[in-house]
Amino acid sequence: MRAFDTRRMAVTTAILAAAALVVAGCGDGGDGSGGGNGSGSGDLPAEIKIVGVHDMTGPVAYAGVGASKGAILAAEEVNEQEFLGPGVKIVVEDVDTAGEVDTATSEMTKVMADQSVAAIIGPAQSQQAAAVAPLVERAKVPTVFTQAGSEGVVIGDYTFRATAPIATYYHLAADYLADEGLTDISIIYNATFVTFAELAEDVVPALASERGLNIVDSISVQASTQDFTSPARAIADRNPDAVLMHLTAPQAVTFLTQLRQAGYTGQVVGASMHGGGNIASAGEHGVGVVYPTDFSPAQQNEEARAFVERFRAKYGEDPDVYASDGYDALWWIARAIKASGSATREGIMEGLKKVAAEGFVGAKGQLTFEGNDMRVPGVVVRWDGSKETVISG
Amino acid sequence: MTTWYYTNIVLIQSTFTTLLLALSLQVPMRVGVFSFAGVGCFGLGGYAAAIAMTRFDMSTAESVAVGTALAGVAALLLGLLVQRLTGLYLAMATVAFTLIVSVVAVNGGDLTGGAGGIFGALGDLQTWHLLVAAVVVVALLAMTERGAIGRRVEAVRENPELAASFGINVTRYRVTAFTVSGVLGGLSGAFTILLRSTVTPDAISFHLIVLALTVIIVGGWTSWLGALVGSVIFVWLPSMLDFVGDWEAVVYGAIVALAAVFLPEGVVGLIGATVRRLRRVRRRAGGAGAVPAAAPDADLPDADAASPAVVPPATRGVTQ
Amino acid sequence: MTLQALLDALTLGSVYLLFALGMALVWGTIGILNFAHGVTFMFSAFVAHLVAEQVRLPMPAIVVIAVATGALLSTLTQLLAFQPIMKRARDYRTAEMRILIGGIGVAAIPLAVAQRISLGSPFGYQTSSYRAEVYQVLGLRVTTTGLIILAAGLGIGIGASWWIRASRQGLALRSIGVDPVTASLMGVNRSALALSTMAVAGGLAGLAGALLTYHLGAIASETGDTFLIKAFAIIVLGGLGCMTGSVLGSYVLAAAETVVLVNNWGSWVDAVSFGLIFLVLLVRPQGLLGRAEVRRT
Repeated sequence: MRAFDTRRMAVTTAILAAAALVVAGCGDGGDGSGGGNGSGSGDLPAEIKIVGVHDMTGPVAYAGVGASKGAILAAEEVNEQEFLGPGVKIVVEDVDTAGEVDTATSEMTKVMADQSVAAIIGPAQSQQAAAVAPLVERAKVPTVFTQAGSEGVVIGDYTFRATAPIATYYHLAADYLADEGLTDISIIYNATFVTFAELAEDVVPALASERGLNIVDSISVQASTQDFTSPARAIADRNPDAVLMHLTAPQAVTFLTQLRQAGYTGQVVGASMHGGGNIASAGEHGVGVVYPTDFSPAQQNEEARAFVERFRAKYGEDPDVYASDGYDALWWIARAIKASGSATREGIMEGLKKVAAEGFVGAKGQLTFEGNDMRVPGVVVRWDGSKETVISG
Repeated sequence: MTTWYYTNIVLIQSTFTTLLLALSLQVPMRVGVFSFAGVGCFGLGGYAAAIAMTRFDMSTAESVAVGTALAGVAALLLGLLVQRLTGLYLAMATVAFTLIVSVVAVNGGDLTGGAGGIFGALGDLQTWHLLVAAVVVVALLAMTERGAIGRRVEAVRENPELAASFGINVTRYRVTAFTVSGVLGGLSGAFTILLRSTVTPDAISFHLIVLALTVIIVGGWTSWLGALVGSVIFVWLPSMLDFVGDWEAVVYGAIVALAAVFLPEGVVGLIGATVRRLRRVRRRAGGAGAVPAAAPDADLPDADAASPAVVPPATRGVTQ
Repeated sequence: MTLQALLDALTLGSVYLLFALGMALVWGTIGILNFAHGVTFMFSAFVAHLVAEQVRLPMPAIVVIAVATGALLSTLTQLLAFQPIMKRARDYRTAEMRILIGGIGVAAIPLAVAQRISLGSPFGYQTSSYRAEVYQVLGLRVTTTGLIILAAGLGIGIGASWWIRASRQGLALRSIGVDPVTASLMGVNRSALALSTMAVAGGLAGLAGALLTYHLGAIASETGDTFLIKAFAIIVLGGLGCMTGSVLGSYVLAAAETVVLVNNWGSWVDAVSFGLIFLVLLVRPQGLLGRAEVRRT
């Protein structure tokens, strides 16, 4: 290798310098008015391409796969009903972000650079969403995020969110506790998980003081905490009326198991993330857990029931929160196209805002919006070990 | 050409930041120090830059400078602290450092944004900034790989006692390597975060250490070229593997395992060995007075430029 | 610390120990740092879960399935990755890094399979016929699973330490770690011994997988990796190359973590545990019970 060094270095430097010149010569990125191709009815093209950027593999694949299924079902309905007019179809394509922020950023960039893409259904993970949000604004591609409940996601005209942050409907849980007379509560939460940290440190204390609930204990753990024997015992010893469990699914299962083994028999309140059967592996220890969620297949409103039936018919299983997000997100986009009469990127952006101003009825019920952010009525459900039942909301 | 560039701009920029991060691990390794502190400094640099930009309204250049400087100082202090440690003990101590940085970030309250981290730190970094930085760093490192400095670095790694007996200040080389790794890590972190516009505590994890390590082991840990080759491979591999669909992770793992088994000096070593073989073939075909003494040395796939100090004087004259 | 908290710390320590045993065994004898250990642990538990979903099994059966899967996985890893690397290695140090990366690469495959099938959701043994009982003994709450883990962890840990030190095979194993070439000159069949050690370590990983899944109720596909980092920390803390050190290290780490949790600094757990390790290393660069290396530079 020695002999090569000088020559190789010179060649490499030359290539890199040339590349630098080329790169510096290029100006700033351009945006596009994107949209479809061909011609359908009116101003709408025959095919409108929507890309879903989801975690199809990786640790939270259940969220991405669910959203994807919901969106695809919605697109089918839109096309069957000829909602946008005869001859106009919505085509959904999926891209996998594999659970990585960098993959999400690069895949989003590629999708945005593709001028045939009219709108995007964005990643569910908050870090991914917050990282791509500024890019979306710069490239002016309307993006509807699902889940992604943290700050820094809905930041401008082109970013929208089809999932109400849990902080906006958690009051339902607080109401439930107050109604049932469960006034002394302990909280255990994963402090490294944004949504839970926010809930436990800001939202719940505020709600508690409003409704006369008394927070006895607030125990924080990390994402890497796997064994909960000590905190479970501490809580069981205090024996509060209810325990608020803000933990990720595997942590929740362990915590429930060890809490019950420690002898606690009171009420456990979870979060929407525990829906969709995610705590099924807690078996009998998970029975009776109550949680507020934005969607449950047990919901009784007409739209929800229809959605559940069609989802079952197509996929052979019940839809979960994530599926309802994807479904409502795509329907929002479809209504946006109809409202603005245009399938260009700018047109869809305008349409999304218009629809948001009026609200619409989706699988989750009557949907309203605060700016570009969705709000839902929400519902409180009880898990009986194999399915959910609605108890209030 | 330009559409390709804009479509893949994230990957292109990522190649440079990954290169810097990989170099932050490779530089100490060349001196024989198993330090992963570069990754912790990535976190420090990234957070410092983000904080500088969002909380103190500094410009991009200032934020990068702050991030890099802070990381460098931290690495220097750390290096002085863990001087007595070697091998896997040192590795573990630096892993501990990295994980502690992550925990401090989570508990940093408003300054570090807690679990949510910091968002909105969008710097106006262009690709050519990264390119220039990378070229400068590589040029400086390449200079330390050749000539007298290169040989001394080899000596400190291969046989520290012997090097000390020659009057080489082994400790100074090690601590310098530590500091350089911190600077590189911090620079990479500052760049990455200002490009990505957000940083969360999860970004600093064992996973990142594994990625950086994989990049240099597969690319080749003996020189900066290995880090470059490794970065290109691992940044672009996922998109190349797109067609594999859901089993991307399996193919990725298989490639890494195969490289670990069959490429002792990494991809760069493979290229080097192939080139040597081609040159031998050409020399024999040329029928010139080929020196037989060259053959045995070049035949052994393991003996190569990695330890030039051991090359017998006769063949060294020939291969130059 | 109250007596109950002490018992909890002991149980947690046994959890860590059970996991770290396989890794410590291989590392302390033939000198391989197997980063596929976490995935082996998880995947053995996962396979047992898949079988248990079809057939209602008692706990011993599930443990046997997990142990067998773990042993098989580790043997394959040794045959396909570690052995070829050791054969091609010029010297030990460069091989070390390649073994590390090789293990990580090989681990990606079962991980992807498990993630694909479970989609990231946790899995456990709800369909098994075993139910954990909770007893009150001397005012302390004890679960049967906890007891089993305590017994298994301590028993195997101390037993293995003693065996390695006292038996001929243990001696042979240790000699491979010290100087492979001389060991083979002395008639030690390196590859056979290494293979069987890896198989045993894999079996231990499987055992840990089954028992810990029972103890925790369920695990997810990433659980193995979290344990892996702690196991690595424990082995270094205890002193490389010393099984007893790993036993001690597990309990020390567990005690530190329990103290932090009990005092409700829960979000600082990792900082305290790793900070502790850092401090120990500063004071004793060879770990708690490791061999003190003489360094002149």
